[in-house]
Amino acid sequence: MEEIVFGIGITALAGALATVAGAAEDTESDIGSQGDPNSQVQLAPQMGYIHRIFNKAVAGEPPAYGLWVALGAGLAWAFMAMQINPILAIVLGSALAVFVQGVYATTAYLGRTASLAKFGQPVYIDILKSMTTVTMAHAFVAIFTTVAMCHLMISALGHPFPLPLLGLVWGIALGAAGSATGNPFYGKERQYQEQKFGAGVPISASGNIVRYAEAGQRNSLDNGFFSAKLGGPASGICFGLIVFFELWRTVVFEELNIWGPIIVGIIVILVFAIIDRYIEVWARKTFGPYTAPEEASS
Amino acid sequence: MSALGGPAQTGGVQPPTGMGLVLSIVLIIVALALAFFLVQMAGLIALVGIIVGGVLIAFGVHFVPVGGAPAAMGQAPGIATGVAMLAAGAGLAGLFGGAWAAPFGFAVALAGGAVGGGLLMAITCTMVNVIYVFGMGIPAASGKVAKDPITGDTFPEYKSQGTEGHGLPFISWVGGVIGGALGGLGGTLIYLELLDIYQAQLPVILNVTVEQIASVAISLAGIFAVGMFLMNAVLAAYNITGTIEGPHDPKFKRFPRAVIAAAAASAVAGIFAIALLGLVGVF
Repeated sequence: MEEIVFGIGITALAGALATVAGAAEDTESDIGSQGDPNSQVQLAPQMGYIHRIFNKAVAGEPPAYGLWVALGAGLAWAFMAMQINPILAIVLGSALAVFVQGVYATTAYLGRTASLAKFGQPVYIDILKSMTTVTMAHAFVAIFTTVAMCHLMISALGHPFPLPLLGLVWGIALGAAGSATGNPFYGKERQYQEQKFGAGVPISASGNIVRYAEAGQRNSLDNGFFSAKLGGPASGICFGLIVFFELWRTVVFEELNIWGPIIVGIIVILVFAIIDRYIEVWARKTFGPYTAPEEASS
Repeated sequence: MSALGGPAQTGGVQPPTGMGLVLSIVLIIVALALAFFLVQMAGLIALVGIIVGGVLIAFGVHFVPVGGAPAAMGQAPGIATGVAMLAAGAGLAGLFGGAWAAPFGFAVALAGGAVGGGLLMAITCTMVNVIYVFGMGIPAASGKVAKDPITGDTFPEYKSQGTEGHGLPFISWVGGVIGGALGGLGGTLIYLELLDIYQAQLPVILNVTVEQIASVAISLAGIFAVGMFLMNAVLAAYNITGTIEGPHDPKFKRFPRAVIAAAAASAVAGIFAIALLGLVGVF
């Protein structure tokens, strides 16, 4: 019993770490403009809209975070093998991984933006100076929490994978959850804030992203400020729920029966199916159709 | 997929060419013969497991509703990220669960892997709809079919002007969970087959006990499983070209080509993974 209670505590802690990781990951990717909405940041100058948005989408979020978290985990693992205290080892490993993220962000911004030179898009050095460090800070939070979570899974819950491999697995899952949940909010709600609320962006508006803020030109820090209000926390809840349920069903129900975690997993999936269906029906009823059904049925 | 126009509506079935089919079958037979020659019956069975795992992954990726960049602007339905990467996230979460359950036997581990992948997709797909509905005020609408095959919801009147649809209709949600589960199942199958081979062979080659090489065997099997997962997911993504809404999308019918390619690729990659220990023995 004591073991289960300990396991639940670790599960809760890992879930909390994952929630912070998801929120930091999405905010980082929005400030750095690394998700799919960056297609519009890249497109805008080609349509004549010069902007001051960061631009580092040379890799998708999942492989990028797979690299950074695996790197942080691998270095932490090496430091721990050198008998360094685990917390210090994780901090050091994450800090070194963040330098790689910083180099990645710098070269990606310079490369991507320089490729737009023939459309008149300048490379803003002040953007590079002020925003790279902000993405690095957010990346540190995301990497540190994910590596710490992976360390808990191994040392406290006894997962067989070594730390670097677990870092790769959960880094990719972190990027997948963060980009899936956070991207639409950054893309539709922020880049196309001038478009009507409650409708998708018409394809004809592509490239016409919002470039002006309350005062002066909008930059990516404004975008981070915005997406940290909903996109980031929602991504955090998404990744936190994934990690929590993945661990909880095993830690609590494995003792009862070896098939317990599987049955509970299926029940959780069914519960989410009901929640999703409820949300879908609620939206249809509350928002109503855009056009009359007769007209659209043709 | 163009940044302006979204995915092209080329949903036609594209069957594999005769040449590709023959080449794939030859590659698979050669790989199987090599596996039998190198590691006898155990190698043959492991390679068959790896090929089946690869095929499950490639097939599963076709179920995952991915909208890419247009989905991030609410211009097309699906999840706003890349096909291979989302499938990899789900499949690797499944591998995490499967590897954890490995000591309880083959069936429990496989089921654990499948449920782990399905669970990640169930939560992710639900959160996507949460953001679309509560963050952006946009209802779900498919661009490829007029009616949801499961719930019977009609879509054309819920599509906003100038878009191909948006959000995740229920059929896409179900497709995502099935895709995640198949990915988790395939990834775990590859991991278990390789783990069996390494745990049987490493102690003999290095002249140590099974416990002493456990961590090496788990690491090797894990990293090969991740690698083969990504390989098969990317192959399937090439077949899909851009975006797909799920099992109701006409592009879904393209899967036979990806399945054959994944079988051939898994056979070739699998023989390297299996023969790796032979090389260790030589040196």
